[in-house]
Amino acid sequence: MNTEKTVTNVQPDVKVPIAGYIALIFAIIFFSGILGSAKGWLSAFDFNVINGKFGLIQAAKPVTFIGKGGVGAKAGFLFALSLIPSVMLALGIVEVVEHLGGLKAAQKLLTPILRPILGVPGIAGLALVSSLQSTDAGAGMTRALREEDVITEKEKTIFCAFQFSAGAPITNYLSSGAALFSFLTVPIIVPLGLIFVMKVVGANVMRLYLNKVVKEDI
Amino acid sequence: MAHKSLADVFVDGARKGFNIGVSSILPNVLMAFAIIQILAVTGLLKILGNLFTPVMAVFGLPGEAVMVLISAWLSMGGGIGVAASLYSAGTLTNSHVTILLPAILLMGAQIQYMGRLLGTAAVQTRFYPILFGICIANALVAMLIMRFFA
Repeated sequence: MNTEKTVTNVQPDVKVPIAGYIALIFAIIFFSGILGSAKGWLSAFDFNVINGKFGLIQAAKPVTFIGKGGVGAKAGFLFALSLIPSVMLALGIVEVVEHLGGLKAAQKLLTPILRPILGVPGIAGLALVSSLQSTDAGAGMTRALREEDVITEKEKTIFCAFQFSAGAPITNYLSSGAALFSFLTVPIIVPLGLIFVMKVVGANVMRLYLNKVVKEDI
Repeated sequence: MAHKSLADVFVDGARKGFNIGVSSILPNVLMAFAIIQILAVTGLLKILGNLFTPVMAVFGLPGEAVMVLISAWLSMGGGIGVAASLYSAGTLTNSHVTILLPAILLMGAQIQYMGRLLGTAAVQTRFYPILFGICIANALVAMLIMRFFA
């Protein structure tokens, strides 16, 4: 469920164009759902508004093309088909944000806080941001960091605990997860925010375990 | 890359989305719906549901929701598909789906990621059990927290 990304080398010092920060802020607002119920032009900045909705087939009780009461593989197929526009829109926007340097901006903002919140050096920032999009890119870059000996075995294990829970969360949330967006009772950023918090919590459980239980150098 | 217009970049991303949709989401969701159909016609879903009712009640969920978690563990798309299938059958409500969504990701696709992440990054195998445990604990805690929001 991941788009492949080429594994690039670690670049600790990145130049972020101002457009990158703007794109990042735009992406956060767009996918957050906070402007979903805004009136007028502001609602253009909301994923669900731009994603739109299927027309209804006029029956006694109007339904979308998925119909009502379907079961099994056939119902699954039509349901999955109905998800594809959301996935295409979401990944199209993510691609544009990445192109404008939005991910570099995220990396730059994350780098100084990696050590305190995860116990991992800032140089892992690029691998972290990549791992949010693609499990395979994150894994490959983490391996490279270890091979270049810029992170220790212990740091690598903690970092992997972070990546292992909810792998590639941005891609997976906006592709598969989008299937459930219209059923949610909360803005779509709430579950995603919680996912990030729990990823950090999980990594810190691993950090604690390695420091207090294993103790020895691994 | 510098010569691409933003429209081209968007279309590239949308194409990626289409490919993920067709090659990954569609088969995964179809499988999930088929599995739920098998469980439903054999009556196993009801049995599983009754069996797990006390456990899932802790998270404010019906017993059948355990199927969402089990299938999510194997594949995120599968977990999402099962949730959607149970929702369209009326077994899960909007609040239930809201509680389940973060958990589906947090403990999702662990079997695949064991190879693709832990294997690739060469994590020592003695840490695998605790890594699996952390993900499942993350999912359970997330469901407890989501109860307050949903």
